[in-house]
Amino acid sequence: MPFQVAIFVKAQYLRMSIVEMCQWLQDTSIGTSIRESTWVFPILEGTHLLGIAASVGTLLVMDLRLAGFLFKREPVSQVTKAVMPLSMVGFAVMFITGIFLFWSQAIKAYGSIYFKIKLVLLVLAGINALVFELTMRGKSAAWDRDPVPPFRARMAGITGLILWAGVICAGRTMAYNF
Amino acid sequence: MSLRSFFQWCDSLTIANAIRDSRFLFPIIESIHILALAVLLGTVIVVSMRLLGKGMKQRPVAEVYGELSRLRNWALATMLVTGFLLFSSEAMKCYDNPPFLTKMVLLAIAITFQYTVVRAISGKPDALLGRFQATAVAWGSLVLWFGVGTAGRAIGFY
Repeated sequence: MPFQVAIFVKAQYLRMSIVEMCQWLQDTSIGTSIRESTWVFPILEGTHLLGIAASVGTLLVMDLRLAGFLFKREPVSQVTKAVMPLSMVGFAVMFITGIFLFWSQAIKAYGSIYFKIKLVLLVLAGINALVFELTMRGKSAAWDRDPVPPFRARMAGITGLILWAGVICAGRTMAYNF
Repeated sequence: MSLRSFFQWCDSLTIANAIRDSRFLFPIIESIHILALAVLLGTVIVVSMRLLGKGMKQRPVAEVYGELSRLRNWALATMLVTGFLLFSSEAMKCYDNPPFLTKMVLLAIAITFQYTVVRAISGKPDALLGRFQATAVAWGSLVLWFGVGTAGRAIGFY
């Protein structure tokens, strides 16, 4: 078998198996019962939405501090300490409900370009946070009290805001079929 | 004008028709509505937590509240404008939709509570802020605004 054909066949095989995995997932009894229940899906969906609002809304305050727009007189570390626990609780709620929502609609999500965009944006938001933690947080004592933090910290804040706004828009758009 | 004819009038607005006829307008406006919801709830949560004595304790409550005022007002204004647009495009569906009516009642209470009680309490110097009133106001606004969000999400499912 020529090399290109082998790659093609392999890719087709991989593609099939992801679809099959999604199909299997939503056909499990948990997936089916969430999908077919009158109450469980709306409750999960509503909780997911409020979890996003809680986590992104509080994260926004921290990102605006990093960007140098809000609470300029409060040290960055204090704003982070005030906001992070709430962002994390909201994020956990959103993540857990999100998994169950995906479980019940895996095929639809797999076929949705907006779901893929949402996943990519989530990964980018994670990378943005990680890069900030690794490169800036260690030195944060030096600029903790600066009304306007250094350029890289500001960029991390602004990038985070844009990515999370994108996550919300892509997530909401998933529900529509264009 | 009866309530029903008010809903019919909203339903017949040019902008309502434009939103109904477009595939993209409703999702776009809806996304903006939800972004503003996140911003508004974020400000409510941070102020409530400060009232409950969690986080940024070196800052007076009044300063935390004031610092977030612009964000809160803009978010609320955005929600009201986009919310009205969304509503107008399906006004007759909303007319006999219990979650919608619940949301409107909660919204009226939440806005009133926010701009009277919460504002007055958050404007006080910390020394004059009773523990009980701070706690009650913090939980009151959290419950009201999350209630508005929950009822809002339920409109689409009813």
